[in-house]
Amino acid sequence: MRRELGMGTALFFLCLGLWASNPDFLGHSNAVNTLRQISMLGIFAIGIGCVIISGGVDLSIGSLVGLTGVIIAKLCSTQTGGLGYSLWIAIPVALATVMLLGLMQGLLITRLKLQPFIVTLGGMLLFRGVSQTIAEGGTLSLGGSPLLELASEGVLDHAGEPLLPYPLLIFLGVIALATLVMHFTVYGRYLYAIGGNRDAAEFSGIRVQNIEASTYVISAGLAGVAGVCYAAYIGQMSQQVGIAYELYGIAAAVLGGCSLRGGEGTVLGIVIGSAVMRVIDNGINMFRFAYVDADGIRRLWRLDPNWTFVIIGAVILVAVVLDQLVHIFQAKRRLLPLKVPALDLGAGEPSKDGAPPRALT
Amino acid sequence: MSTSHTQLLRMRAITKRFPGVVALNDVSLELHRGEVLALMGENGAGKSTLMKVLGGALQPDSGQILIEGQAVVLRNVRDAQQQGIGLIHQELMLAPNLDIAANIFLGNEPGSGGPLRRLQRNALAARAEALLARVGLDLDPGTKVGTLAAGQLQLIEIAKALALEAKIIIMDEPTSSLTSAESEHLFSIIRQLESQGIGIIYISHRLDEVMMLASRISVLRDGRHVGDLAREEATQDQVVQLMVGREMSGHYFPPPSQRTPGEALLEVKDLVVVGAGLGVSFSALRGEILGFAGLVGAGRTELMCTLFGVSPGISGAMTLGGRPFAPKHPRDAIARGVFLAPEDRKRHGLVLPMSVAENTSLPGLRSYNRWGLLERSTERRVAESQMGRMRIKARGIHQRVVNLSGGNQQKVVLGKWLALKPRVLILDEPTRGIDVGAKAEIYRYMVTLAESGVTILMVSSDMEEIIRMSDRVVVMHERAIRAVLPREEVTVEGIATLMTSSARHRSPGSGSAGTQVLSEVGGHA
Repeated sequence: MRRELGMGTALFFLCLGLWASNPDFLGHSNAVNTLRQISMLGIFAIGIGCVIISGGVDLSIGSLVGLTGVIIAKLCSTQTGGLGYSLWIAIPVALATVMLLGLMQGLLITRLKLQPFIVTLGGMLLFRGVSQTIAEGGTLSLGGSPLLELASEGVLDHAGEPLLPYPLLIFLGVIALATLVMHFTVYGRYLYAIGGNRDAAEFSGIRVQNIEASTYVISAGLAGVAGVCYAAYIGQMSQQVGIAYELYGIAAAVLGGCSLRGGEGTVLGIVIGSAVMRVIDNGINMFRFAYVDADGIRRLWRLDPNWTFVIIGAVILVAVVLDQLVHIFQAKRRLLPLKVPALDLGAGEPSKDGAPPRALT
Repeated sequence: MSTSHTQLLRMRAITKRFPGVVALNDVSLELHRGEVLALMGENGAGKSTLMKVLGGALQPDSGQILIEGQAVVLRNVRDAQQQGIGLIHQELMLAPNLDIAANIFLGNEPGSGGPLRRLQRNALAARAEALLARVGLDLDPGTKVGTLAAGQLQLIEIAKALALEAKIIIMDEPTSSLTSAESEHLFSIIRQLESQGIGIIYISHRLDEVMMLASRISVLRDGRHVGDLAREEATQDQVVQLMVGREMSGHYFPPPSQRTPGEALLEVKDLVVVGAGLGVSFSALRGEILGFAGLVGAGRTELMCTLFGVSPGISGAMTLGGRPFAPKHPRDAIARGVFLAPEDRKRHGLVLPMSVAENTSLPGLRSYNRWGLLERSTERRVAESQMGRMRIKARGIHQRVVNLSGGNQQKVVLGKWLALKPRVLILDEPTRGIDVGAKAEIYRYMVTLAESGVTILMVSSDMEEIIRMSDRVVVMHERAIRAVLPREEVTVEGIATLMTSSARHRSPGSGSAGTQVLSEVGGHA
C-alpha cells in the first residue's frame, strides 16, 4: 500500500496546488471533463493492470480502443460509409470482436509460449491496420447517433451539465467489479500467484495457461468498453483514435504501483495512477501563476503546453526512482544485522533481519 | 618459488560464513605443478564455495591464498584470471549465439583502445585454431557454439582457460553430462595438460574417475578439510568413509520407529521419464518412507516430476491405491493426493512475495470459494493452524515468505500440502540448506506422517538422511534404478558403490544389472 498512499497524497496536493493557482480547476465544467478523461483512461488501465499483475504486458490496447470505435461507427453510422444498424447490434458486435482478438493473443502467448510483448506488438500494428481498412483511411462520423449522449450526458444535472457523466458511472462499475475480482476471489489470488512465481503456481496445481490467456480477454474487453466511451466522446472515428493509449495505460498502472515483473499492484493504485496522469495533463493547461512585472502590470504566467510530455515523462521517472530508493534503503536496513557473523542461529529462528537465506553450496 | 619449487597454489585456513552456516571452516589446500588434485565431498560439503573463493567470485572471511609463494588477494573473477586461475563451472558459461573463437576470447579480446577497438577476427581465428588443437578439437573456429555437443563445449571451456594462460584449471563435475567416449577424450586432454605443468583441481562425485585421474584426493565434509589421500594409498572405501564420516553425527534424527508399512499404495511399472533410456519400476507402501539415493543427475528429480504430473512420462503405467494414475498436470496429481515439495523451493515451491497464509492456501484455494468469493476467514484459520502445527517462526501469517529463513520456508511448503490430505508426499531434498534445528523438526513430521499412513518418497543427496530416515532405499544411477535395498541391507558403502558406479557397471550392460535387482522389488512388496 506504500505506493498507493504515496501517489494518493501526491495527487491530493497536486489538486490542491492547481486549485490554488486557478480556482477554475475545480470549476464544474473542468472538473466533470477531467473526471470523464480519468474514467476513460482508468477503464482500460485496469484491464492492462490485470495483465501486468499476472506477469504479462498488452501493447494492443490502444489499437483495440480504436478498432471498437471504428467498428461501431461503421455499423451504425447513418452517414457516408455507414451501414445504419442499431447501436444494440453495433456495440455487442464490436465488444465481442475485440474480446475474441484478445483471446487469440492470449492463446498464442500461452499455447505457443510466445512472448507477450511480441504477440501484442504484432496485434497492435495489425488491429490498427484493420481499423484503417474499415475506415478506408478516412473518418466515419457518428453525427446524430444517440451514442454521443453516452459521453455528454449523465445523471444529476447541474446547470445544463451532468454531475456524474456516464463514463464515470461505467468506471465506478468497473472499479467495483475489478476490486471484487482481483482482491476477493480465488481467480484474483491466482493472478497474483502467477505473477509472483509462475512455476510455483503451476506446481500448486493452478491451470496457469488458461488464467493467463483470460487476462488478455479481460484487457481487450475493457479496452472495448473504453473504446465505446471514446467513440461517443470524439464523435467521429478514424484510425488515429487510440494511438499510444496502451502506453498511457501502462504508465498509469506503473504509477499506481504495478511492477512489470508481475505480482504487484492494486485496483486502487491503478485508479490513482490514472487520475494522476489525467490531472497532470489537465493541470498543464490550468496552471497559472499571477505576478506583477517590472512595469507594475499584473500578468499571468502559464505553462507552455509543449512541455506536456516532458512533465509526464519526468513524473513517471521520479515516481519509480523514489519508489526504488525507498526499496533499496529498506533492504539495506534489513541487511545491517548481518555484519555480526551469525554462527549458530538457533533452531529455525526467523530471520528478523529479513535477509533472504543464502543456500550453502 | 623459493621453498617448494613445484608448489603452485596454497590456500591457508580459509573460512567463509554465510548467515546461519559456516560454509568453510579453516580449510587448507595445496596444489603442485603438473598435478591433478581431486576434491571430493557430499553436496553441501563446501567444494563449490571453496572453488568460488579461488575463482574470485567469493571473498573469504579469513585465510590466505598464495600463488607460487606470493600472497594474493582475489577481489573478483578478473583478478583470479590474471593470476592464472581458470574456473570451469558445471553449467558451462558459453554464449551459444557466438562462434568458437568469439567465445574463447570473450572478455579477453586482444588489442588496445577500449571497447571500440577493432575486433581482429582473423588473428582470433588463428589463435583459436591453435588452442583447439591443444585440446584435441578439429573444428572451424567460426562454428556457432550452440551447435556443438556437450563434450566439445567442455573442451572449449578448457581452451578458454588456456587462452588466459591459466596455470591452474578448476573443473567442476566436468563429466556429468558427457558420454563415456567424450569423457575418455577429456581425460586424455587432462593428462596432456598435466604433462605441460598445469595444475588441475578436479571436482567429481565419480570415484572411478577420480581414482584413475588424480594423484591426490582432498576430502571436504561439512565445510572442513577432513583428509588428504595419495592415489597409491587410497581405496574407494577410504574415500567414501572420509566423505560421509565414520560415525553418524545425527543426534537430531528421530529414533528408528517400529512402524510397519502396509500394502502397496503407489506402483510404478516400466515408467520411461523424459530423457531416460530405460523404464523404472518400483512400488511404495502405505506408511513407508522410501528413500531415493543417487548422484546429482541420476534422474531422481525427473522421476518425481513425472509422478507429480509436471512432465508426463513417455510410456509405462502407474497405479495409486489400485486405480490407474496418469497425471498430466500437477492438478491431476493433487486431486489424487500426491503432493510434491520440490528441490528448488524458491523457484517451484513458494510465491516469495506472498504471505505465509497466501502460500499455504494456494493449492487448495478452490475449496475456499463461497458464492464466488474467497473465504478469508477460513484461509486465516487454516494458515494459523498450519503455522502452529509446523511451528513456523514468523511474525504472523501475513509475513511475506521471502523474509523467512530457509527452514521456515520449507515448513511453509510442507504446511501447504499438509493442509490438504496427502496420500503420497514427495520430498525432494527436504532439508537442503536448512539449519539443524529445523531439520530435526522436519524429520519428526516425516515420521509422524508415515505413522499416520502417508507414503513418503524422499529424494536426498545426504547419505546420513537416506540411511537414518528410509524404510527402504531406491538407488538410482544414470536414470535407471540400480537396486532397492530394505532397511537391514542399507550401508553407506553399499549405497555409495551402487550410485557412483565403478567401471564394470559403466558399460551399456548396466541395464541388465538394474533389472536383475529390480526383480527383488516385487518380492518385497
